[in-house]
Amino acid sequence: MPVSEPILTARDIHRHFEGMHAVDGVSIEVMPGRITGLIGPNGAGKSTLLAVLAGTLPSSSGSIVFEGEDITRMPAYQRARRGLVRTFQLPSEFAQLTVLENLLVAAPDNRGESLLGALLGKRYWLPDEERLVAQARGLLKRFGLTAKESDYAGTLSGGQKRLVEIMRALMLHPRLLLLDEPMSGVHPSIVDEIAGYLERLRDEGLTILIVEHELHMVERLCDPVIVMAQGKVIGQGGMAMLRKQPEIVEAYLVG
Amino acid sequence: MNSYYLVNLLIFAGVDIIACLALNLQFGVSGVVNFSFIIFQAAGAYAAAILSMPPDTAPDFSFQTYVGGYQLAFPLPWIGGALAGALLAVPVGLVALRKLRSDYQAIALLVTSIIANTVINNARPLLNGAAGVANVPQPLSDQLNVSIRTYQFLYVGVTAICVAIVWFLAARIVNSPYGRTLRAMRENETAVAALGKNPTALKMTIFIVGGAIAGLSGAILVGFLQVWAPSTWLYPETIILFAAVIVGGRGNNLGAILGALLVPVGFEEVTRLLGGLNIGPPNLIPALEWVCIGLLILGFLWFRPKGVVPETRRVFPGAPAAPDETRWVLGKRAG
Repeated sequence: MPVSEPILTARDIHRHFEGMHAVDGVSIEVMPGRITGLIGPNGAGKSTLLAVLAGTLPSSSGSIVFEGEDITRMPAYQRARRGLVRTFQLPSEFAQLTVLENLLVAAPDNRGESLLGALLGKRYWLPDEERLVAQARGLLKRFGLTAKESDYAGTLSGGQKRLVEIMRALMLHPRLLLLDEPMSGVHPSIVDEIAGYLERLRDEGLTILIVEHELHMVERLCDPVIVMAQGKVIGQGGMAMLRKQPEIVEAYLVG
Repeated sequence: MNSYYLVNLLIFAGVDIIACLALNLQFGVSGVVNFSFIIFQAAGAYAAAILSMPPDTAPDFSFQTYVGGYQLAFPLPWIGGALAGALLAVPVGLVALRKLRSDYQAIALLVTSIIANTVINNARPLLNGAAGVANVPQPLSDQLNVSIRTYQFLYVGVTAICVAIVWFLAARIVNSPYGRTLRAMRENETAVAALGKNPTALKMTIFIVGGAIAGLSGAILVGFLQVWAPSTWLYPETIILFAAVIVGGRGNNLGAILGALLVPVGFEEVTRLLGGLNIGPPNLIPALEWVCIGLLILGFLWFRPKGVVPETRRVFPGAPAAPDETRWVLGKRAG
């Protein structure tokens, strides 16, 4: 097996909120083509770390390198354009837009998306629009939401909103997908479905970093797994190996 | 009904429609709560006034003091008015829209509106202070050799053309992928940034576009009224326009137009006529008018938050069974 370079390297990340160290000197590497799990008790700093990696929150200190480029000071939208795309723990669909429109918004290369392009009129941007509608419908079909195309996203169920968020992220052709608890608030029958989609995306070569609470899902999807507690990384490796380390089991159960 | 009253009503309707279309782009479509909207109309009015008036040393103008005075021919003062609105949007936007959270943006903009009015009101050398500028020449009134009545109807016609142009441009924006991204930003700004869009740039562009349109509305108004003073652009004027957009239907250009006709034109005319009936103390009717505007906003937000003409659902050609009666084909209404 060829030795591969990490797609993302974070070094000594700190993030303080008024004296509270939410993330306290974390260094992680994300290897390409895998689903890396990020687990830990509530308040361990997982979501904060994910937000810092995606640029939603600035880091207090530390450095982040994504595909060989230092992105530490880069705003969130520029990271997304480079293929580092995140989803959110709370549903963040564009409620008053239809499902299809949610996907189309995310598309990066539409000539009609600038003010000038808009003023030039439909003839100028229609070819792009038609191409992207076809692409978005492909995703809808794959994720089984074709029938919901014209529904307002705000009217979907919790699980469907999760799928919309994942599809939206896929419209950007991400290189690394950061998922913040994609199974939370989702009906158990859909949890398995989402897990299946993620496995298939991984098999197609997509790299994923996922914050997740459901341990049996982590066990099924993730290798390796990074364990955080109180803002620090306290262990990483395969789930089976982590289960044998008493300090990790204790931190997770006690925390 | 005498014709001056009718002309007056039509000009105000046109100006309010243009203003509401601009505010709809900012607030209705993009979610930018621009509580300083009226200062952009004022900037356009002052700019158009100064560009069309002679310097304040000229015989008929020496009773007032103001900067500049360029006597430019129509349509340069109107273009200048639109430019002034756009230019003012740059510094105001950079201060208010970059770092602040959206609720604080609204407060910052409201305060900006009050500060601007106070400064212009008290700094007399700038734009003649509280008295305002007067005797503003009407566009082409010297060149056109027509009766006052004909001129007034010509003015209505030109205003109507401006309404049509602004409506056309606003429709192109709202129905484009750009407009869709603006609507997405209104729904969730953080998520839009996470999808590779720059929210600050999006907000700044629509702030400048809206500022330019507001500036044009001010230029049209001052060319007709021939006077412009701080008392005509106090911050509550912005609230009336917000009421119009909320009542008409946020995010829908038709709604903005309807709102302009219902609230600033229709509602104010009705209360003004009531004022002529001499009921109660002299200020009772104007005061009650404000109570009614407030109740109107609250009532609609409570019972019909989407307004009289709600935003349209976009259904694309080839979509499986549309859930709604309204069908849209790539931004255009289909049969």
